[in-house]
Amino acid sequence: MPGAIFQIARTGAAAARASIELTAQNIANVSNPDYARRTLITSEVVGQLPGTRGTLSGVRIDSIARNDSALIQQQARTSAGALARADAELSALRDTELALEQSGLFEGLVEFEAVLTQLEGSPLEPALRTNALEAARQLATTFQFADTVLGTARAQVREAAGFSIADANLQAQELARINLNLVNAQDGTPGQAALLDARDAALRNLAKQVGIEASFAANGAVEVRLAGSGGAGSGPLLVSGINSTAITATNTAAGTLEFAVGAVAVAPASGALAGHSGALEAQADYKTQLDAIAASTIARVNAAQASGAAADGSPGQPLFSGRNAGDIALALTNASQLATAPAGSPAGSTNTTNLASLVASLGAAGGPIASTDQLLLGLSSRISSQGVTRSGLAVIAGNAQATLLSQTGVDLDTEAANLIRLQQAFEANGRVLQVAADIFDTLLALR
Amino acid sequence: MNFVSNATSAFYDRSLAQMGSLRGSLERIQTQISTGVRITRGSEDPAAASRLRTLARTERLSEVQADNADKLARDLTEAGDEVLGLANLLARARELAIAAANDPTGANGRAAIAEELAQLELELFDRANALTLTGEPLFAGTAAGPAFTRAADGTVTYNGNGDIASVPVAPGTQLERGLTGAQIFEFDLGGSPTSAFAVLAGLTAALQGGAADPAAAARAAIEGLDAAIDTATRSQTVLGTRLAWVEVIQDNQNQRALTLAEHKSAIGDTDLGEAIARLQQTLTALEASQASFARVSNLTLFNVI
Repeated sequence: MPGAIFQIARTGAAAARASIELTAQNIANVSNPDYARRTLITSEVVGQLPGTRGTLSGVRIDSIARNDSALIQQQARTSAGALARADAELSALRDTELALEQSGLFEGLVEFEAVLTQLEGSPLEPALRTNALEAARQLATTFQFADTVLGTARAQVREAAGFSIADANLQAQELARINLNLVNAQDGTPGQAALLDARDAALRNLAKQVGIEASFAANGAVEVRLAGSGGAGSGPLLVSGINSTAITATNTAAGTLEFAVGAVAVAPASGALAGHSGALEAQADYKTQLDAIAASTIARVNAAQASGAAADGSPGQPLFSGRNAGDIALALTNASQLATAPAGSPAGSTNTTNLASLVASLGAAGGPIASTDQLLLGLSSRISSQGVTRSGLAVIAGNAQATLLSQTGVDLDTEAANLIRLQQAFEANGRVLQVAADIFDTLLALR
Repeated sequence: MNFVSNATSAFYDRSLAQMGSLRGSLERIQTQISTGVRITRGSEDPAAASRLRTLARTERLSEVQADNADKLARDLTEAGDEVLGLANLLARARELAIAAANDPTGANGRAAIAEELAQLELELFDRANALTLTGEPLFAGTAAGPAFTRAADGTVTYNGNGDIASVPVAPGTQLERGLTGAQIFEFDLGGSPTSAFAVLAGLTAALQGGAADPAAAARAAIEGLDAAIDTATRSQTVLGTRLAWVEVIQDNQNQRALTLAEHKSAIGDTDLGEAIARLQQTLTALEASQASFARVSNLTLFNVI
């Protein structure tokens, strides 16, 4: 029956045309990282009236399939989260290194030691005494500078953590909204595919900020838990159905952050937030060490002053005031007040025993110079090994991303081949229409 | 994981990342060449950075210790000169004492000798109170003020103390700055302590009529002068030995400064030859990957349909 040929050719042409549209859509989204390649699922249509043998009726557009693999998505998320954590921590530690190394603290301490050693050669020379006092002033300034820069670095990390939390909460809300829309979406429609793209993008962004566990319902709706320390499913719920719970952070006295989801205290296991949190703890530790070095310098120098006599024979007064790197300051006003001679020496004594013991105390193992070297060595070793870890994680994350793209990404060559194939299919269907028309014409021409 | 993917954006991502990392290492090498420094941040090589810090500290302290050694050498030279001068003074005094001890020297001659001895004693006192270049007394130990004082009756007493400050001139090496006035001018004579000043003043007084037999007094004084000359010469030897020691230390310092500089350079400086070779290698790799990227990214079916 010629009517059926028309029907078959029409549906075939429509299906080919829809496929071409989808191929065009794929090509248009070739550089969209959130886009998963679509394919058109078609099925044969056979008219089956009761009591008949069935009529061939062409092809039907079934659904739009979205290439997806939950497992590979999860792998990409996890590795991206680990990389984000390493990046955040490394960047904060580099700022810390800048504060402690480039501030010249070690050089300042060595210079102070050097000018004191020089003073031993000629303890009453006013120029050398002034030099020593100025080196002490410079040292105090350097301590304060290092402390300020370290404080700025810590404030930056806290600010970055705030942004991470805001972004994570935004993504969680977005996921809740997507869940709601997914309930209403029809299976196999372009709308649903777009929602699933948005869902995967939001999950990926969320995982970059904080480690998560996602589980999916049949309609694609997602339930997100924070990755907990007690194994799978132990963390608090972040997104459940159409509800999302916000992550909050509070500052502690030590300058670190404590996180909670709702009322449940949590420790982020991965993602940038975990990196910020780890960096803040490391920075708090370095701040303690810096303060300890400043306190040790103040204590050693002032103890030496107390056990000595100034140039005029009077008992030595404290050289530094303050208790830590933040408030250390020069307390002496005149270079003649430097107590180079031991206590009880008369005015103008060239005895340098007291000065020599101060120099020895500054340079001793466990003294400020050695401690500063240890602090810097510890910090730079940590950054160096973190850098190695980070490059390893970057390779893993890159591979996971490549795997994901090979699964879901658009390959222009494939699309080009599809384009030719579908064009031919469309032309062939047109040809079938032509044939059907010819048949009709032949029938109509019979007389 | 060795995976070859055909996804177009994966190809672009990978190529970009590879070229980015090549460009990054190019820039690192370029910085190393233009600054001459291999390690700009401690984290680039933590152990080497720590050794560089230690070397920089040693270098700075060595500079200061070299300064100290220079100054010590000056002080010791000056002290040596003063002690040489006073040994000559005492030798002249001994000649005068011998002349006075000769019976033919008459009363007038002894008076003239006494006059010269008094002058010699004054000069000895001045030399004993000599100052360093920075204005501190040379022979007062660690005490301030004049090393020797003269009382109203003309008696000269040591005003300094017995301490000698020591100066750090090399890592772990402290050298004493000089000798105390007591070590140079005071000695025991016949079991009782006396000084060069006392011997000279006693002889002068005896020749000026203080003694019944001035010739005998002069003969007796020769023993004291011999002891004074002996003490001064010994001091001169000590100072000379110490100066020689300082010179040895200065030589060592120069050697050590060279070695330190070599170490620092070996650890922290860019090896230009190596860096330039690596630069060339990386450049070639980058150019090759750019060229192949351009070729491969042109290979798309869209060019042929």
